[in-house]
Parts: sequence; structure tokens; C-alpha cells
Amino acid sequence: MRREAGMSVALVALCLLLWLSNPDFLGSSNLVNLLRQLSMLGIFSIGMGFVIISGGIDLSIGSVIGLTGVLIAKVSSPNAPGLGYPLWVGILVGLGAALLVGLLQGLLITRLRLQPFIVTLGGMLLLRGVSQTIVEGGTLSLGGSPLLRLANGGVLAVDGDPLLPYPLLLFAGVALLASYVLHFTVFGRYLFALGGSREAAEYSGISVRTVETSSYVISAGLGGVAGVCYAAYIGQMSQQVGIAYEMYAIAAAVLGGCSLRGGEGTILGIVIGSAMMRVIDNGINMFQLPYVDADGVPRTWRLDPNWTFVIIGAVILLAVVLDQVFHLLHARRRLHNSSRKEGSRTAGALQGPLSKPKPES
Amino acid sequence: MTSSAPLLEMRGIGKRFVGVTALEGVSLSLQAGEVLALMGENGAGKSTLMKVLGGLHQPDSGEIRVAGQPVVLDSVARAQELGIALIHQELMLAPNLDIAANLFLGREQGPQARHSRLARYLGPLPQRRLREQSQRLLERVGLRLPASTPVARLTPGQMQLCEIAKALGQNARILIMDEPTSSLTAGESEQLFRIIAQLKAEQIGIIYISHRMDEVLALADRITVLRDARHVGDLTREQASHDQIVSLMVGRQLSGQYFPARAAPPERELGLEIEDLWVPGAPCAVSFRAYRGQILGFAGLVGSGRTELMQAIFGATRPLSGSMRLGGAPFRADSPREAIRRGVFLAPEDRKRQGLVLPMTVAENTSLPDIASYARLGWLDRRRERSVAEQEMKRLNTKASSPAQRVVNLSGGNQQKVVLGKWLAMSPRVLILDEPTRGIDVGAKAEIYRHVAALADSGVCVLMVSSDMEEILGMSDRVVVMHERRLVGVLEREELSQHRLAHLMTGGAPLEAAG
Repeated sequence: MRREAGMSVALVALCLLLWLSNPDFLGSSNLVNLLRQLSMLGIFSIGMGFVIISGGIDLSIGSVIGLTGVLIAKVSSPNAPGLGYPLWVGILVGLGAALLVGLLQGLLITRLRLQPFIVTLGGMLLLRGVSQTIVEGGTLSLGGSPLLRLANGGVLAVDGDPLLPYPLLLFAGVALLASYVLHFTVFGRYLFALGGSREAAEYSGISVRTVETSSYVISAGLGGVAGVCYAAYIGQMSQQVGIAYEMYAIAAAVLGGCSLRGGEGTILGIVIGSAMMRVIDNGINMFQLPYVDADGVPRTWRLDPNWTFVIIGAVILLAVVLDQVFHLLHARRRLHNSSRKEGSRTAGALQGPLSKPKPES
Repeated sequence: MTSSAPLLEMRGIGKRFVGVTALEGVSLSLQAGEVLALMGENGAGKSTLMKVLGGLHQPDSGEIRVAGQPVVLDSVARAQELGIALIHQELMLAPNLDIAANLFLGREQGPQARHSRLARYLGPLPQRRLREQSQRLLERVGLRLPASTPVARLTPGQMQLCEIAKALGQNARILIMDEPTSSLTAGESEQLFRIIAQLKAEQIGIIYISHRMDEVLALADRITVLRDARHVGDLTREQASHDQIVSLMVGRQLSGQYFPARAAPPERELGLEIEDLWVPGAPCAVSFRAYRGQILGFAGLVGSGRTELMQAIFGATRPLSGSMRLGGAPFRADSPREAIRRGVFLAPEDRKRQGLVLPMTVAENTSLPDIASYARLGWLDRRRERSVAEQEMKRLNTKASSPAQRVVNLSGGNQQKVVLGKWLAMSPRVLILDEPTRGIDVGAKAEIYRHVAALADSGVCVLMVSSDMEEILGMSDRVVVMHERRLVGVLEREELSQHRLAHLMTGGAPLEAAG
């Protein structure tokens, strides 16, 4: 929980700083938009978290998001190249495709013992191409579709803006359910065991292939759910939607305390990590400092948005560096203590009841 | 036990892997409340036999009966159901989970729960019940730790006890222990032996695999010996003796001269001088001298700081202070690379990780520390690499199909020979051997002893860390004794005795009169 606590403090401090520099940061229109984006990132980052905790990686999640959205647009868009089926058919097709992708990738990884990195890298490229062929290089508009209300609507309207947009409610539901599954069920325990030591899991009689395959189905499934939200949010599906999102999900999970070695992480951490990613991104637009220039004219200084990636990258590196420094300090202290204890424990150990004096290794 | 059916009976078990017969017509039986020692050189088939019992391998032929009933052990889960628990040499615990999670891993819902898999997976985890049950199991094995302790924080000995607790939690009636003491301290081993005695009293049958003769003779009620995939003998405790077991294992009477004779070097010539070397974590600095042509033994308990001292000499860790001289000239290794350049080599304790690159071939491992000398303008001379490796294989009698065989497929003894070979190919001045024969079978041990002795006789300065008392006594010209990271004594060959060593190693004051 060390990482979660540290990140929460950092997140609150960052929000405070942004609000002080620019009160609009917590103004309803920015806040609602931030929550919407945060929720969509959070949903598929949780999916990624399941895979990472079980010791794998899912690079295809961005393409799954794109594919789901494109399929929904193709099947149920009322406009020209769309087929005009009811919305639920489109959502069913999109989510079904996502789950199927997860299942196939999971089976390739567990049955053929292929490396997750390669399988999902292939999936990422292949699905991106599939999306491209469906939109035929152009865009599919969802204008006029009831789906758009999913992103724009919500409950508790204030000044015309819903205070709780639907994606946020969806995210909260996903996070609660995922917390239960990951931290309070047998299946969650197996995911951690698998990530911590595949052999220990296998030798304990756990069906590791089922558990591992499930993690990819969950990841792709949540990618699909996020894909529905993005389709509603953007309203125009092109093959560009979701590109590089897998990297944001990995970053959010790692910021939140997941280890890419597997076996470590919490849903709470992933939620905080996702929030951190979005707040930084939003903060780069919102941050401003008033100053008076040489001619005595008051001006505001803003961050150059071209620095977005530099800042996000630096924050990720800073987080893992700090984490590692704490980890090393902690380990050194423990080594110190245990070596002192070890000495006193082994003294006199040979005067046991059973044997003649003999050294042990 | 006089009851009709033994607890476990294996009859005529056969198992073949591609091109290798791992087991052929092997039989054994185990009574309740009995300790059966299973012995044999590495590769004799012990591990395969145990994996058959654990449900990890299916035999090609033969019959297994548990309490008189024929059974098919086709999965780990099935073996567990029948009360068979396998405690692996490489402890199989998930380090990121706590003790309670590990003890009940795979059996969280209890044996009575027979729901569908979905209900089982998504049902709530009975955390509190698991903690309580775990705590009771930990008490049974004498481990005084909260069940919520992460496994990553445990010592190897505590992990071993956890594995036993896990088996007890499965209501195991047949417990298989594979080299359980290989990573335990003396105190932990004693505790393990007490628990074994207690389990016997509870009518649990134990199959005990070990290379340590004294342990086996002290613990086992009966001994079954395997050799070359076959069953070659059963001995009762009364019949068994050290020599007899060894001769069954190797198929020949080992000559009493297990350790090679050493000619005392005519004159002492300084090899390595260590002056006030302070190793990180040690309470004080150490000084000693090692001579050319001699084997300097390092005796001590696990954790006595011997490995750390050797790593500092080899430049793998940096000492806090002190100086070293090599053949009279100042020597300071800031990295293993520097030590190697000066002819100071280390055959490390953790052979599989620090000594070898397992997926690489014998030839590639042999050339690795000296790879630059095999290259001309950056182009590797593979033919020379191969011929050097072949030469070392011949010198050390390494059993590998060719220099192109991957070392991961070799037995422990042959792997150690590859480690030795890579250093011999570079003509060492100082060779440090850290537990050179751990986990190595008797035949290969004798060969390694011969080569080490020959090396010393040729003028190399050998430092040998060993926790095997016989090895220290049999091989060393002088012995440095360490205790709690301090140097507590240096004994000349004439002064050596088991009693004296044990006394010093456990922190006793130096004895004046020989014990």
C-alpha cells in the first residue's frame, strides 16, 4: 500500500496546485470532462492490471478499443456506410468481438506457450488493420445515434452538465467488481499466485491455463467496454481511435503500484494511477501563472502543450525511481537486521539432540 | 506396522523419456510411521520416481497402490487427494503471497466444497478461516510467525517448514522430502528432524531423499537405493552402513582413499595475503594468508560470512577497507573482471545462476570469461572455442555429448566440471571454490576432489569454502574457521580434528589441548 498512499498524496497535491493556479480546473465543464476521460482510461487500465498481475502483458488493448468502436459504428450507425441495425446489436457485436479476441490470444499464450508480448503485439497490429479495412481508411459517423448520450449524459445535472457522467458510474462499477474479484475471491488469489510463481501455482494444483486465459479475456472485455465509451465520446470512428492506449494503461498500472514482474498491484492503485495520468495531461492545459511583463502589462504564462509527453514520461520515471530507492533502503535495513539476528540464531545450533556435531548448509 | 497392506506400494515402475530410460522396474514400499530413505547418485531416477508419485509424470508401466488400493496418479490434484505431498528441493511457494495464502493455495474452499469451477473461483475467499487454520499448522511445525507474514521475508529454513505445514494441511499421509536440509542451518535441520520424529508418531509415512549419509543413517528406518534407473537394494537401519550404501550407489566398492593423497609442499610460497579486509555487513575485518600449492579450507556454519568474504576477494562486492596482495604485489579487485584479469577465479556457490549461463553450450560457457582471446577483429573463432572446451571436458571427464550440448541438460556434477573447466582453461593463480560439491553425487565428487588436489599440487593457491565437514577435513592443508562473520581460528593440518572445528564453528573459544 506504500505506493498507493504516496500516489494519493501526490495526486491530491497536484490537484490542489492546479486549482490554485487556475480555478477553472475544478469548474464543472473541465471537471466533468476530466472525470469522463479518467473513467474511460481507468476501465481498460483495470483490464490491463489483471494481465500484468498475472505476470503477462496485453499490447492489443488499444486496438481492441478501436475495433469495438468501429464495429459498433459500422453495425448500428444510421448514417451512410453504417448498416443501421439497432444499437444493442452493434454493442453486442463489438463486445463479443473483444471477448473473442481476448479468448483467442489467451489460448495462443497458454496452449501453445507463446510469449504474451509477441501474441498481443501481433494482435495489436492485426486488429488495427481490421479496423482500417472496416472504415475503409475513412471515418464512420455515429451522429444521431442514441449511443452519444452514454458519454454526454449522466445524473445530477448542474448547470446543464451532469455531475456524474455515465462513464464514471460505469467505471465505479467496474472498479468495485474488479476489487472484489481480485482481492476477495479465490480467482484473484490464483492470479496473484500465478504472477508471483507460476511453478508454485501449478504445483498447488491450480489450473494455471484457465486462470491465465481468463486474465486476457477480462483485459480484452474491459477494453471492449472502454471502446463502447470512446465510440460514444468521440462520435466519429476512424482507425486512429485507441492508438497507443495500451501504453497509457501500462503506465497507469505501474504508476499505481503494479509490477511488470507480476504478482503485485491493487485495483485502488490502478484507479489512482489512471487519475494521475489524466490529471497530468489535463493539468498541462490548465496550468497557468500570472505575471507582469517588462512593459508592465499583466499576462499569463501557460505550459507549451508540446511538452506533454516529456512531462508524462518524466513523472513515470520519477515514480519508479522513487519506489526503487525506497525499496533498496528498506531491503538494506532488513538485511542489516536479519544478519544480526542470523548470527545469534546459529550460535550453539549444533548442540541439538540428534546428531554428532556437523555443519549444515 | 503389521497391518496387511503397506501405506504405499510401487511395483515395477517404468518410465522412458525420449532416448533415456529414467526408471526401469522400480519397486518400493512404505509403511505408515516409517521413514524410508531413497538414495542414489544424481540421475539414478530418484526425482523421476518422486514426480511419478506427485502426479507430475505418468509411468509407462507398473502399479501403484495406496493403502492396498490400486491408484492412477494423473494429476497433482489427484495425488493430493490421496494424501501424497511432495516437498520440492526448489521450494514451491509464491513469494508475493503471505504464509496463509500459500498454505492453502489451490484448496481455499476446503475439501468438502464441490461447486462448479465458476462458483469456486468467484466465491469469497475465507480469509479469516485460512489465517486461523494456517496458524495452527504453523504451530504444529514449530514455526513461530504470524500467518500473515509474506513468504518473501522467510529464510530457506522457514520456507521448508511452511512446505511441510502445507502438506500437513492437505492431510498428507505420505510425505516426500527431496534434499530438505540442503539449504537449512544446523538449528533448522535439528528442528526438521524433531518434526519428522513427531510425524512418524502420527503414523505418517515419509520418503526422505538426501545425499547426506549421516542424516540418512540417523533418520531412516529403511533405505532403498537406486542406480541407473534401477532398484539395486533395500537395507534396514541395522544393516546399513556408510560404506555399504556408497558401494550400492556407485556399484563398486569405493576405495577407502576417497580423498586424494596430498604431498606436503616443500616450502611455503605466499599466494594471497589478506590484510584487514572489512566486508560489508561483517562486524570486523579479517586477515589471513593463503599459500601456493595449498588448499585453504573455510569452515563455518551457513551465514558465517564465508561466501561474502570470497565475493569481496573476487571483486563482486566492494570491501569497506583493507588491502590484499597477490604473490607479493598489491591486488585490488573492484570488479570480477579485474580479479579475473589477475588470475583470481571464483567457482560460486550458486552454480546455476552465477557459475553458468544455463541455456548456453559447454563451449560457450567455457570461453565466456576469456571471450576476447577467442576473437580476431571481433570475429569469434568457434573452432578454437570448441577445441578448448573439448580439452577441458577430457581433462575433467565431463559427461556431455559434445561441447555443443547446453549445460542446462547436464547433471549437477557435470555442470560443476564445466565451471571448473572454464577456469582451468585460463590457468588460475588463485582458485576460490564455494561449496564445490554441494548436491553432487558421490562418483563426481571423488573426481572433483582429484582435480582440485592436482591443481593445488601444480602450484595454484586454492581457497575452498565447504559446509561438508568430511570434505574440509579430507581436502584442506590448512583451515580458516569463521563464526558470525568473524575469523575465529586458523588450524594447521596437524591440528585438524572434527571436534576442534565444530567447537570453533559454533563460537567456542580456541581449544588448547586437542579434543
